[in-house]
Parts: sequence; structure tokens; C-alpha cells
Amino acid sequence: MASHSESIIREPLITGKNITYAQITNEVLLPVENKPNKAWWIGFVVASLGALLWVVSISLTFWYGLGEWGLNKTVGWAWDITGFVWWVGIGHAGTLISAVLLLFRQNWRNSINRSAEAMTIFAVICAATYIVAHMGRPWLAYFTLPLPNQYVLWVNWNSALMMDVFAISTYFSVSLVFWYTGLLPDIATIRDRAVPGLRRRIYSILSFGWSGSVKTWQRFETVSLILAGISTPLVLSVHTIVSFDFATSLEPGWHTTIFPPYFVAGAIFSGFAMVQTLLLVTRKVLGLENYITMFHIESMNKIITLTGSIVGVAYLTEFFIAWYSGVEYEQYAFINRATGPYWWAYWSMMSCNVISPQLFWFKKLRTSIPFSWALSIVVNIGMWFERFVIIVTSLHRDYIPSSWVMFYPSWVDVGVFIGSIGLFFTMFLLFIRFLPSVAMAEVKLLLKSSSEQAKKKLIDHGHLDAEQVADYKDALKKYDSVDLADYETIK
Amino acid sequence: MDSNKKYWKGLEELNKTPEFVEKNKHEFAEPLPIEEVLSGAGLASRTPRRDFLKALGFGVGAVTLAACQKVPVHKSIPYLIKPEEVTPGVANYYTSTYNGHAILVKTREGRPIKVEGNPGDLLAGGGLSAQAQASVLDLYDTNRLKDPQLNGGDAGWDEVDAFVKQQLAAAQAGGKKIRIISSTVHSPSTQAVINDFIAKYPAAAHINYDAFSYTGIIQANQQSFGKAVLPHYNFDKADVIVSVGADFLGSWISGEEFTKQYVSNRGSKALESKKMSRHIQFESGMSITGTNADARIPVKVSEEGLVLVALYNAISGTTLPGTKKLESAKAATAVTLAAKELLAAKGKALVVAGSNEVANQVVANAINVLLGSYGATIDLDNPSNQYKGNDAQFVAFINEAKRGEVGAAIFLNANPAYDYFNAKDVKDALGKIKLKVSFSSQKDETADLANVIAPNHHYLESWGDDSAVSGYYTVLQPTINPVYNTRQAEQSLLIWSENAVTDYYTYVRNNWVNNLLTLGGLSGQSGWETLLQTGFVKVAPKTAAPVTNAANVSAAAQLIAANSAKLAASGDDKVELQLYINTAIGDGSYANNPWLQELPDPVSKVTWDNYAALAPKYAEKLGVEEGDVVKIEANGYSIEVPVLLQPGQAQGTVSVAVGYGRTHSGLVGNSVGKNAYPFASFSNGTIGKTLVATISKTGEVSPLAQTQTHHSYEGRDVIREVSLKEYLKDPAAGTDHGKEHKTYDLWEAHERPVYDWKMAIDLNACTGCGACIVACSAENNIPVVGKDEVRRRREMHWIRIDRYYSYEKNGQAAADEETGLVTKEKEIAKLEDLDHVTVVHQPMMCQHCDHAPCETVCPVLATVHSSEGLNQMAYNRCVGTRYCANNCPYKVRRFNWFNYWNDSRFDNYLQNEHTQLVLNPDVTTRFRGVMEKCSMCVQRIQAGKLKAKIEKRPLTDGEIKVACQQTCTANAIIFGNANDPNSELSKALKSERTYYVLQELNVQPGIGYQVKVRNTIENELA
Repeated sequence: MASHSESIIREPLITGKNITYAQITNEVLLPVENKPNKAWWIGFVVASLGALLWVVSISLTFWYGLGEWGLNKTVGWAWDITGFVWWVGIGHAGTLISAVLLLFRQNWRNSINRSAEAMTIFAVICAATYIVAHMGRPWLAYFTLPLPNQYVLWVNWNSALMMDVFAISTYFSVSLVFWYTGLLPDIATIRDRAVPGLRRRIYSILSFGWSGSVKTWQRFETVSLILAGISTPLVLSVHTIVSFDFATSLEPGWHTTIFPPYFVAGAIFSGFAMVQTLLLVTRKVLGLENYITMFHIESMNKIITLTGSIVGVAYLTEFFIAWYSGVEYEQYAFINRATGPYWWAYWSMMSCNVISPQLFWFKKLRTSIPFSWALSIVVNIGMWFERFVIIVTSLHRDYIPSSWVMFYPSWVDVGVFIGSIGLFFTMFLLFIRFLPSVAMAEVKLLLKSSSEQAKKKLIDHGHLDAEQVADYKDALKKYDSVDLADYETIK
Repeated sequence: MDSNKKYWKGLEELNKTPEFVEKNKHEFAEPLPIEEVLSGAGLASRTPRRDFLKALGFGVGAVTLAACQKVPVHKSIPYLIKPEEVTPGVANYYTSTYNGHAILVKTREGRPIKVEGNPGDLLAGGGLSAQAQASVLDLYDTNRLKDPQLNGGDAGWDEVDAFVKQQLAAAQAGGKKIRIISSTVHSPSTQAVINDFIAKYPAAAHINYDAFSYTGIIQANQQSFGKAVLPHYNFDKADVIVSVGADFLGSWISGEEFTKQYVSNRGSKALESKKMSRHIQFESGMSITGTNADARIPVKVSEEGLVLVALYNAISGTTLPGTKKLESAKAATAVTLAAKELLAAKGKALVVAGSNEVANQVVANAINVLLGSYGATIDLDNPSNQYKGNDAQFVAFINEAKRGEVGAAIFLNANPAYDYFNAKDVKDALGKIKLKVSFSSQKDETADLANVIAPNHHYLESWGDDSAVSGYYTVLQPTINPVYNTRQAEQSLLIWSENAVTDYYTYVRNNWVNNLLTLGGLSGQSGWETLLQTGFVKVAPKTAAPVTNAANVSAAAQLIAANSAKLAASGDDKVELQLYINTAIGDGSYANNPWLQELPDPVSKVTWDNYAALAPKYAEKLGVEEGDVVKIEANGYSIEVPVLLQPGQAQGTVSVAVGYGRTHSGLVGNSVGKNAYPFASFSNGTIGKTLVATISKTGEVSPLAQTQTHHSYEGRDVIREVSLKEYLKDPAAGTDHGKEHKTYDLWEAHERPVYDWKMAIDLNACTGCGACIVACSAENNIPVVGKDEVRRRREMHWIRIDRYYSYEKNGQAAADEETGLVTKEKEIAKLEDLDHVTVVHQPMMCQHCDHAPCETVCPVLATVHSSEGLNQMAYNRCVGTRYCANNCPYKVRRFNWFNYWNDSRFDNYLQNEHTQLVLNPDVTTRFRGVMEKCSMCVQRIQAGKLKAKIEKRPLTDGEIKVACQQTCTANAIIFGNANDPNSELSKALKSERTYYVLQELNVQPGIGYQVKVRNTIENELA
């Protein structure tokens, strides 16, 4: 398929002149095959300090009990489940990119899917740590598994938490397999380029004996498609089930049927924001501008605007339904969100999630790298606040006014959260150090059809509609990795 | 004898088949490969050196590892000869006495673990106060003295006895006075012992000294009727009750007794007969009594006397000299109205006053005489013995001692070095006394100044008796051997006075056999044994003699006016300060009890602290907010306490509880709050607890440890309240009867074949006292978490009492918003005047919903429904996700944030082996990370069912009582089987007043509440 020419009106997915397969390999494997640079070390030290904070905070919690956190008799979940849902949500973009976009043949995903999938896995790991850590007796976490036992104890299939255990573990295992399968040809590349020794042996084992034969490639493609098929429902189901943790309860502010679609949209929203946060930096530091282009950035920004708008509509719908329901508890819960003691959290959420993504309607802003990066951070802050608002402001004032209290986090709460970010970045930095952060094999597929040089060749050949070529040239203007001078000579 | 009978194992043996014969030759059915083993590599081979070393290494390593584990040594001594009455696992109950109340003490394996009311108790009919419930914990207090002390060091009893006797003899011989200072002695035998002691040492005299005395009432009765007694009040006989500053449902004289009387005229039974008393309260600080009043009018401390005078005027139609106009027009109207009501109820009316001023009480007496209360609602001829203290006597003692006239002072249950207003005087006085003996079981403030401490037994280790009111005698018997080397105070006195009987048990029995048993129609040994089983005797009351008022009411009124002028605060920083006793800590003697420290105040819901209660508007004027620390200064003494914004507090007044700021109470009570006693002063023969003080902001902040931080019920249906008028019109007013929606069930109904345990709570009976909270803590081993954890809103109580304020705009009492009931936070914040609030108390615990929201969300099925309608917790299965607590609309589930039983970082005072002996062995303590909640005392249900089963009979209604229900003097809680249509519970639930909290959620709660009815007079007051 690589030999087919792609329409000129499609923007290039790989930029740069005279790019060869070897060059792609060289550029992508640069951080893997060389000693890490200073930037990596600085990042790694900071991230591991964060991870250390996580270890300290979690150890304190495990040693003394959950009283180390700021929770109380009325607010039984706060930063823990906020963090959990936040991380699970972030993971969703990876699955969407790798599975849904594959099925929809969105080739632009090839440049970003590897990092996004890695992000998914690390985010789900962070989320899973919260599942265990938020338990009062984490050493009995296995009670949540339906293990046959002589006490004839069983789990409660009615409980959304039970479904959660399955949703998250399924999600993690499928994502891991999908990610690793995709990695096989690339690991094999590293193996083949390594000098004989320990390094080669390790990559050799990791490559599962990839031979690169046609049959292998064919099977690889088939497995990828099958796994994409399996993963696609997970994009919708996992966060649907996470939303059940709230939607199936009796709590005003939680008990709403809009939660599943609203949570899924929010998850994709925050996930793409996190992909932006990671890739904009990675792209710069690792010099991957030719593979992760402005087209990718802009596409993701468009998705952020779309999902952000869906989330915004959901927020408004919730308010409308609360009013329309006529239930005083429900009405109070929402008035309290907007005007109660946690009003600042609500308005942080509204401005970060609903208002700020609308700025991407301006092309200048959505193609600005610093702005995109800043906004991706804003969105992630907003999405954290969304979960905080849903969880804490609903719980802290529900039915019986005598139990209304305030929630104040302890430093351990903050430590666990900041620490989980440290943990995430530690894992991510190790990932880009030891595995290719761009799916080389998949990017190479695009070189002959969708790269700038291929398109340039088409233009040079002539036979193209002049208007389309003009459009194409116009589109190239936003790219920061395209030398526009090359196109001046073309009429 | 040989037998020819043949036995065979099977047909094969009988028939002797060849195979069988062959097989039978061998020991084993299959040949064993012994030969192969012996000849093969097995034994024949050498043991290689390496294998040997491996085995040796493993063996030594494993043994070393195993030895590293410190195996705890549990020293348990089995009963060699088992006491007949002690069966492990079966509780024994003994009758005894707590503070004049007949009680039952529950013991397990020889140790008392719970105090319960004796159902025959004259005073409270089986109910008990929070303090009584908590008293069992004091027995296991590790701060108790373990040995007698002589001059600051441990000593033997012989040394102490010799020293004391020698000193007493010296004092007697030297012409010095000997004084026994005690809190009021109402035990006949103790009094007899003291009398014997005085007979032996004629220089001795006995002074009753109460930290919060009722000298004012006693002296007023002396003036009015020539009887220096504290009368016995009958609130049950009063249709109209007017209280001026008397907290009679709480700390005033006999709170439990009055609660029982009061509720008998206001609860379900009274309402069913269309009757309800009317209660009007004038007071400055919001007391628990004020929260229950039908109408409560805040008046300044300085105006309390004026209210009495105004009331007298209105009733008598005269105008006493010294009459002053009341500041608030509302109060004046209320007085006129109250007078009208009282007159209409002549002979069934009662006016009580809380002040310790003789003049105030003289006027109150005069009012009651006009109303014909004596012989009806007030009994002077069968007086109360609860408080006999005479402030003047104690002041005289201090002066004598300061002059060096006293040679010996003996303190029994008295701690003047802490609770006398002038601690320096006490110190100076004691400095001049040669022999100072304290019977305190702890080294308290007074004992610290004494040269002899002869630690008294805890009452659960003691023999004795009591008589709280005339004609009612109770017996005290020990339920455990003395834990420490202590001796009963009475026995010490007997020994020191060289009595013929030095064994106090014999003394008590003799006293009963000779004097008291006959009063109850008993006699001799059998009578004594009967007494020990029943616990009390009652004597028919004396008939009331007619009264004539001899007091000079005019003079009293003039004195009141003068006092009021003195007390009226003028100037911006001046405030009228009122000291009061709260229901938990009392006069301070309970300060070392963690259950009581953690018991939320019934009104403010504050734990572990005292505070300055200010009216919100007044606080705004001062520029202080809740939790800001203010300095209160008067008489050269000052304290710094946090502010509590108290709706209903009279403007320009501040109320501070005494009993805090102990320095020598023990680990728990030391430096909790600030001592407010030194503000008191002695004048006109009584110690007054009201004065003018200066108040100023300090700039510091000390957040209060409150268990409830939101105080309005937001107009929600959680609380239903109607006026008596509405109730009489429609008994189902305020409920949803006849308005029910059709409901649909997602689940199949639970099977409840035999029992369906449910509860009914009468909001009209509950006064909010909180005794149930302590009873529950004692029964269910509920951990104490301490001040910091309460500040983090993590108290563990399984039952709480929600207290809500509401506000009636324009004095209208109608229950809907159009007509003016203001309850929402935002509206309340806008209100100018927060003085006239009404209060509702609502006991709240697990509702044992039939459609329990907690049950569906637990991932591990740790909380499930029983076949008896209970929502149960399986602690061992709980992993602690807390989803159940989040999903509980009533927020009654409590999570163990820490291992409260063994976390050295914060002491909950129950973390030592000794104190943990108080735990109920029928209830497990919960580990950290586990959810817990009200179990409806499932252990009691099981025990009751078991008993009935053993006795082969069906369970009878009322046989099982849950802990909260049992201690409730007001009978606000009814528990029973809803499957039995004739049970008391079923009848209560069928009441028209029954509603279910949050019933619109269709969680089908198992606790029915009965609508609060208030006999309001607001319309007329407006």
C-alpha cells in the first residue's frame, strides 16, 4: 500500500527532505542507542524524586492507616478517587489512538500511537495503585477477586466497584498486549542493530524471535486488527464502568444517567491533553519534529475542542436536569457546586474545561506549540477539578444537614497525588530511554505515500490540479518543520 | 467365661475363600517394597558431607528464624475452684447504686463492664445519665492511686492509720477543730459513720460542700417556710412549667428524674390522650432545657431576677418595690403570658429558678405559693437529699483555717483546691492545717496539698447505701475485689475513730438490719438478701403540710433590683458572664473520663473543650468569629477560651462551662479547656456564678472540636415538626399519611420469617441529653479518638443526636415556607435576630434499611441483610473501600481511620491492658481500615433469643432492650419485633405521628420517627 500515491490535498504526515528508512530508524533510536542527554537526566531526577515522595506517602498510609489522609466521616473519598478517575481518564486517549483510529484508518496515528499507548499503560498503573491504596485493608485486596474458597465467600456483582476491578484489569492487560505486540518489530530492529552482548540478548528475548518474514508481518497486521477490535469497546466500557461508581449510587450529584457518555468524553479529552503535554516536549527534546508534525498537533487540538464541548454540554445538562427533576437534594447539590464553599473548584473546572478549549477555534492558537502545551496542562488541571467537584462537593453536603462537613487534604493526600505524577514520568522517561517512542515500522509505512517528500515528488511530476497544489502549499505554512523556501520555485 | 459364639467380619472370612486366606497372611494388602529400599540407594548409600552440611545449615537457620519470633506469654490462671456464680461467657447482674439511682451492674468473668438502670428505680425508672454510663470506665482508670500516700510517698495502711490517729488525737487534745469536708453525703450509712466519728472526736464537724451548690434554694425555704431543705419537684404533675434559668433537664438537681417526669406529660402517651404540658423558659445561655421549651425567651443574666419579680407582679396583681421594666418587650409580653397560663393552671403549675441567690428563690417560692404548687408540684415534706451544701459553712471553714483554728481537715469527694473560687485561699488555709487527709482516688488538686491520701474505693468496689430523696433507700454492693491497695473511706473513718465495728460491710448491714430494712417491710438476714436482690426500698411519702410564706418578698425584690443593677454590664467590652455546668463533665469530677470528654455537648456539639458562648450578633459586634480565642477577665482572673456562636444566647452575655482546666485529674482531663471556677464570688450567703466581666479578642484561633458543623436543617423533611394545635386538629399532621406514592421495587423483599427488628423514636420525648451515646460506646466498644480527630470530623459514635436550629419569622409557627418558617442557611445568614430560635434533637443511627444502599455497593458483600431485618457488618470481610459510607444517605457509618486500639501516636486512653478490661467481650474491637456502624446491639438480640430458646419459650416483647433504649430516661426509643402486631414497637410505628426520614428515597428505613409536637405560644407572643 505504500506505493500508492496519496491525494495532494492531504497534508503530509512526515516532513523533511530525503528521508530514508534508515534515517527514520537512526533518528527514532537516537535516545535508545546512545547515552541519555542532560535534559533526560534532569527530567529523570525530578521524576524519581516525585516517585520517592509517592513511596513515602504510600508507606505512611499503609503503615498507619487511611487516617493519614484528610478524609472524614462524611467525605469517604476525595483525592484518592479523584486521582484514580483522573489517571484512568488519561489512559483513554492511548487506546482511542491505537485502536479506534486504526480501525478508522487514520494513518496519522502511526506517529503518536506508541507514546500514547505507553502513556495509557503507565496511567492505568497509577490508577491501579489508587485502587489498592484507597482500601482500608489493602493487604486483603484479593478479596475483591472471585476466588473460590472454603468459606463460600463471594463477591458482589451488583457493586460498581466489583465491575471496576474487572474493567481496569481487563483494560490494563489488553492495553499491555496491544502495546507490546506493536513493539515487536521495533524491538527486533534494536536487536539487529545492537552489537553482540547483553544488550542484544535482552532485546533478542524481548523481540520474541521476530524474523521479519512476510508471514510474520501478515500475522502481525492481523493480530493488530484483532486487538484493535477488542480494545475499541474498552474505550467506551472502561470509563462507563468507572462512571458507574458514581452513577449507581444514591448520592445527589452522582446519581445521574448522563455519566457514562460524559465520562468517556471527559476521558478522551483529558487523555489527548496528556498526549499533548508529553509529545510536545518529547518531540522537541528528541528531535522528532519530522514525525510528529503540526498536523498531528492540530488534529489532537481539534479532538480536545470537540470533547471539551461535549463535556461542557454535559455540565449544562446536569444543571438542567437537576432543576427539571424537582428533587430538592439534587437541586441543592448543584447549587452548592456553583455557589457553595467549594465554588472555586467548580469555576476552575468550568473555565479550564469548557471555556479554554474553545480558544482552539482560532487556527493561530491551535497551531501554536507553546499555547497548545500550556492549554494541555490547563485541561488536565480542569479535569482533575472535575473529578474533585463531582466527588467532594457531592459528598460533603448530601441528605442530612447535620453531617455536612468540609474536606481538607492532608500533606499525604497531596504527596500521593504529586508522587503518582512522579511515578508516571519516571516510567515514561525510562520508556523513551529503552524503547522507541515512535512506532518506526508503522511510520515507515507512510514514508512513500504520505510524506512531504513523496508529495513534493508528485508536485514535481506535475499532472496535479493547480488549485489543489496551492491549497497544499497553503496548508504547509503552519508546519514548523517544513522549509517553505523549497516551494517558492513552484508556480 | 468362654463363649462358643463365632464372630466374623465379612462373608469372605466366614466362607474362608482361598484368596482371603492368602491375603490374610499378610499384614498389608499390598506388599511393601522394604527390601528394595534397604538394598537400594536408600540406606546403603553414604550421606554425602555436602548434604549433611545442607541439612545442618537449614536446620540451624530455620530454628534461628523461628526463635526470632517473640512468642507472647499469656499468663492466664484457670479457676482451680470455679466460683459457682461465674460462668465464662455469661454475664451476672448485681444491684447497686449510682449517685442515688438504683442500678444494675453487668459483670463478665468477675469484672464490671457496664452500668444499667434498675427498672424499679424511683428516680429515673431504669434510665441513666451519660455520667452514670461512663462511671464504669473510671474503675479502670490507670491514673488511680495504687497505694495510700503519706507525706507524698507511698505508705502502708498501718503507717497511715497510726499517723492519722495520732494527729487527730493531737488536734482534739490541742483544742483545734477537726473538719470533714465532703460533697453532699446522702448515704445514711456514710452519714452514720461521720456522726460516729464526730462522737469520738467532739472537735469534729461535718461540712457539706458542693462545687455548684443549691444553698440559695435551701436558705430561701428556710426563710419562706422555716424548712432548710431542697424540695422534691414533680414536673409530671405540672401542666405549665416556667423555668427562669433552671436547667432542670440537664444539670439542675436531678436531671434524669425530671426528664422522666417532664416527658411523661409530653411524649406519645400524653399526646394520645390529647394532653401536653406547656413549658416556658427564660434564660441567658442556651441550655438543654431551653432547647426543649415550647417557648424560650432569652434574657440577660442580670434580668433573670427581674423576670421573677415581673412574674410575681403579674400573678399577684401587685407591684413589688424594686420592680424594673424588662429590656426586651418580647420578654415582658412573655411574662404576662406566662402569668396568665400559670394562673389558669393553678395547682398544676410550677415555677423554678436556677439562680443561687436567696432573694431570687424567695420570690420563686412566693410565686409558687400563689400558684398553690406546694403539696402538688413541689414537695417540701419529702425533700431531696441530693444537695445539702451550705456555701457559708465552707467559707467559714476557710476563714477558721486561715486563722489557724483547724487542726485536721478530711476531704471526702471534695476538691476545693480546684472548684472553690479562691484556690489561693484554700491553699493558704490548708497550709495552716497540720493534718490534711484526702480520700481522693486520684492525686487531684486538693489531694496534692494533703499530707495523707487514703485512696477510696471506686463505687463499684464499695459497700454502702444511698438515699437521694426522702423515703427512697438504695443499696450499694461491690462487684469486684478492690483493684488496687485502696480502702473505702468510711472504713478509714471507722478505723480512725476506733469504732466498735471497723468493717464497713458489717456496719452497713447492721445499719440496714437495725434501721432501714423495716422501712421497706423487710427484716433480718433474709430481708438483707432480698434487698441485695431488689436494690432498694421505698417508703410511702409523708403527706404535705400546708405552707405559709413567712419571707419578706418586698425585701427580696429590692435585693434583686440591686443585684441586677450591679450585674448589668455597661461599656463595650463589658459582658455578663454566667458559669454553668454542662451535662458531660459536670462540676469537673468527671474530667478524666474520655467517654464523657468525647460526648458532644447536647446544644453546641462541642467535645473536649469549654468555650465562650456568645450570641452571633454580639460576636459580630466584638469582631470575633467561631473559634477565635477571647480573653475573659474579671476579679483579677482571666481565661482565654475559643468563641462558640450560640444562637439563642442573650445579647451581651457569655456562658462558660466549669469543670474544665483541671491540672491534677489525670492523663485525659488535664489541661482540657480552662478553669472558670475562679470567676465565682461569695455574697449574700451564697456563692454566685454570675458576674460582670471584660471580654477582648486575643487574635489567636483554636478551632472547636465539634461533631456537627451545620446547624440548620435547610427546610428538609428530615425533621417534621407541628404545633400542638395542628396535632389536635389532625394527629397525622406533618407526616405523609394518606399522601404516599406508589413505590416500585427493583429487588425482591427480604424474608423475615420470625423477627423483624425495628425501632421507633419519639422526637417529642428525646431531650437530646446524649446518655444513649455513652451507653452505646460502653456496650459496643466504640473507640475514643481524641480532640484532634474530632476536629477532623472522625468521631466514631454509632449513635449521634442531630441538633437543628430553626427560626420562626414574625413569630409564626406554621410549618411551611409561605407562612414564614426560615430554616435555610442562606436565609438564616441574612437574619438580624438570632435570639429567638427553636431547637430540635434527632437521634440518628443506622436505619437498617430494607433496601439498604450500602449493601448493593459493597464489592465484597461485607455488609448484608439478615433474615431478621438487620443490616449487618462482617468486619472480617471488609476491605474498607468506604463506598457504603458514601452511599449512606444518613451518613451513619463510621470508618476506622487508624488502629484506635493500638496506635501509640495518639492515646485514646483505652490503649492499655488494664483499661481494656472494660471492653464488652461480646463485641469485637475493630481493626483499622474497617467500616462499622450501629448493629442494633445484635449481641443483645442473640443473647435474648438464646435465653428464650434455652428456656423453651417464645421471646417476649420488651425482653431485649438495646443499649440506647435502655438508658433513655425519656423512653424516646422503642425497639422490638415488627412481625408481632401486638409489640409495643408495632403499636408505636402505627402511630399517626410516625414518619420515616428520607422515606422518599424508598430505601425503606427500619426506624420510624414520631413527629415533634411543640405546644407553641408564638402567635400570641408576636
